[in-house]
Amino acid sequence: MNAAQLLFYLLATVTVLATLFAITEKHPVHAIVYLVTSFFALAAIFFLLAAPLIAIFEVIIYAGAVMVLFMFVIMMLDLGRPEQVSRPGLLHWLPAITLSATILAALATLLEVRTGSSATLHQIGVKTFCVTLFRGYGLAIEIISLQLLFAVVGALYLGRRRRS
Amino acid sequence: MRTSLLLIPLLPLAGALLNMLLGSRLPRRLSELVACGVIWASFGATVLAALQYSQPVIIEAAPWLAAFDLRAPFSFSLDPLSLSLCLMITFVCGLIHLYSVAYMADDPGHVRYFALLNLFVAAMLVLVLAESLPLLYLGWEGVGFCSYALIGFWYREEKNATAGRKAFIVTRIGDTAFAIAIIWLFSLTGSVSISQLNQAGATLPLATVTALGLLLLIGATGKSAQLPLSVWLPDAMAGPTPVSAQIHAATMVTAGVYLLMRLFPLIGRSGTVLAAIAIVGGITAFHAATCALAQRDLKRILAYSTISQIGYMMLGVGAGAITAASFHLLVHAFFKALLFLGAGCVITALHHEQDIFRMGGLRRSLPATFWPFLAGSVCLAGIPLTGGFFSKDSILAAVWQHGGPLYLSLYGLGLLTALLTSLYTFRMIYLVFCGSGPTPHRLSPLMERSLLPLALLGLCGGLLNLPEYLGHGLLARFLAPLVVEPHALSSATELALQGVAALLSLLGLGLAHQRYGGARRAQRLQEAAQPARGLQAFCLHGWYLDWLYERLFVRPYHWLSRTLWQQVDEGWIDGNLDRFANLLGRLGQRLGSWGTGRLSHYLLSLAAGAALLIAWLAWGTP
Amino acid sequence: MIVPLEQVLLLAGLLFGLGLICVLVWRSNVIMLLIGIEIMLNAAMLVFVAASNHWGAADGQVFALMIIAMTSAEVSLALALVVYLHRRRNTVAVDEFRELHD
Repeated sequence: MNAAQLLFYLLATVTVLATLFAITEKHPVHAIVYLVTSFFALAAIFFLLAAPLIAIFEVIIYAGAVMVLFMFVIMMLDLGRPEQVSRPGLLHWLPAITLSATILAALATLLEVRTGSSATLHQIGVKTFCVTLFRGYGLAIEIISLQLLFAVVGALYLGRRRRS
Repeated sequence: MRTSLLLIPLLPLAGALLNMLLGSRLPRRLSELVACGVIWASFGATVLAALQYSQPVIIEAAPWLAAFDLRAPFSFSLDPLSLSLCLMITFVCGLIHLYSVAYMADDPGHVRYFALLNLFVAAMLVLVLAESLPLLYLGWEGVGFCSYALIGFWYREEKNATAGRKAFIVTRIGDTAFAIAIIWLFSLTGSVSISQLNQAGATLPLATVTALGLLLLIGATGKSAQLPLSVWLPDAMAGPTPVSAQIHAATMVTAGVYLLMRLFPLIGRSGTVLAAIAIVGGITAFHAATCALAQRDLKRILAYSTISQIGYMMLGVGAGAITAASFHLLVHAFFKALLFLGAGCVITALHHEQDIFRMGGLRRSLPATFWPFLAGSVCLAGIPLTGGFFSKDSILAAVWQHGGPLYLSLYGLGLLTALLTSLYTFRMIYLVFCGSGPTPHRLSPLMERSLLPLALLGLCGGLLNLPEYLGHGLLARFLAPLVVEPHALSSATELALQGVAALLSLLGLGLAHQRYGGARRAQRLQEAAQPARGLQAFCLHGWYLDWLYERLFVRPYHWLSRTLWQQVDEGWIDGNLDRFANLLGRLGQRLGSWGTGRLSHYLLSLAAGAALLIAWLAWGTP
Repeated sequence: MIVPLEQVLLLAGLLFGLGLICVLVWRSNVIMLLIGIEIMLNAAMLVFVAASNHWGAADGQVFALMIIAMTSAEVSLALALVVYLHRRRNTVAVDEFRELHD
């Protein structure tokens, strides 16, 4: 096993553990921080998987903008003292774990083991990425930008304060 | 010939249609005129056909049933038997139509009445003239339906409708046997034409012929009200009296005997069938005579009397004497119709009183009714030298001649029945017309005058077929080409037999006078006020046949249908459907309560569905 | 690829399962619900990138970018909704909003 593989397993462990802590935290801010950790590790995995651009985008946009937005909203909402909030009991955990485990087990069964793996690629650089993006998926870009427009308009509308 | 033959059944049919469609718009006199006119026109056509008649003829009027091998066109045959019957039917029914005009003068439903009456005559003529069995069956069913409709003519009273229904259902049993016989004959010979069947009869095995004959006998017993299907005729007296005269005395009830006579070459080969016919006829004659002796209702006496006389006709057929049977058929039609019409006169005059123990003294107050009625009665009783005497005696002579222990015992039974016939006839005369009683109303002269021709025919009917020693019988000669007659008796034997019969009828007259005449009449009236007991009750209720059938057939059937209705149809079928629908409803409701509106439930359901799907993909598919 | 594709997919599945657990468990706090959705979307992104790596084409990565963009839009709208609902009812429990039921 070479360094890259070891690194991958390490990062994978970090991701899973961080996500685990994130979902069992009752304090939302703590959960967000754990999640950011998880995303960082995931970005490194992306880097290992020959996707540097996506890794950067993950960090900047996802961990940087989306999670921060979460943080803002949590702090704005004044949810009361989180220590007094009751955590969901075993009754809630059990069906969730069962369903998840079923899906995971089924997934594991469905995965076939292929012989051999393809050769290690060089990193897919910006140029290749952009050529593929703008040549093949121009329509998708337009639609995504429209979607972002909807989101902006919607968020503005929902967030305005009424004159009371 | 062809035209006059076809007009015979078509004219009454046209009259029926006219009255059915337009009758309510025509003035009353016009519709009555049409109704009577078509019958007399049909009589005229019959006379015309008789004058032109030279030999049996078969005319095919139009195609009817034609599919695969079955060929049953509208074909009519004119031969001596059907011709004589047609003459009788049209003449007697013509008189009855005239009588009905006066009898139903106050009834608002005259259009329906005359339409049905005409339709009946048309169906009867089709029955008599039919050459193919399906056409005969058509006429058979037609008279059955008209009988039902006319018995229940005053249907607003429940007992009339019930009587009509009873008649229809009981005769249906016979009709079913007849239909089975027709189908069986078709499957055996491939033909339903009567002439062909009579010829093909020689080729069929004897057992088959016996079975067919028994089926036809059952059909005949249904229509002709013989045992065991005789229970409908006494109740059928609920209809108007002219209907009783026409249908249940002269025409419809003779249809069964006519059927057996028609198909005699086919079924006559089997001695078992002939014996069965004779037994049925003989026992029925005796049964009905005993019942008539105990009845109080004037029309019921006459009804039982009809059953008894038709028993005689069957006895004649069973002895192989077709001429004698048809002789009695014709003469009986005359005097029985006369008796019924006379009874109608009496009943109307006494304001619809039908109990003979409440009548009396009509000899002096209604002479124009009394004398024809007396004429009919002496014919019925078989007083010597009347038409009834000769006809009844010829049947008894034929039975005697047939020989063998069965037929001789039936001869003895026939003699006993003749005695009883005379007895109940004169009982009726003494109680209704002698002594003193309530004063009657005035009667329409039309009603009384129509009795006269029938009285004459009855009395002089003997001339139709005088016995051997007085000259060769007209009827015998007429029917000779059709039937094979047994050998003639020697004059001495014939005279002796006639002497015995004459003696018995006079003995009956004497006994009746002894018991009901003069002073004893008042005694009998007093006795009649008490309810009947013992043997009298037994005979009054027709040997309790109705009670027996009620217990044996009607009640189990009611129980079965009630069970099927309540337990099976409503309980089981409907119940299951209701339970199923309820189940579906509750199921839908429970499923519906799954939509709680809570997001967490929906998310859980979503995840569960996804898990189920993926698990099935992983482990479910092969 | 540095590791066989199946293992990456297994990792993605594991992350997806964890995200699902988070969504199903946290019904008292809609913020945690949204976080669970984020985790699941990330797992999907991982699958796309791994596939892109396996086949050697950039298309998978392009779609991963699309996911990021879509997530941003969705999160902004979702959080705006949460703020609005919190203003109205002063609660973030998901089960409290049941008006669409019959």
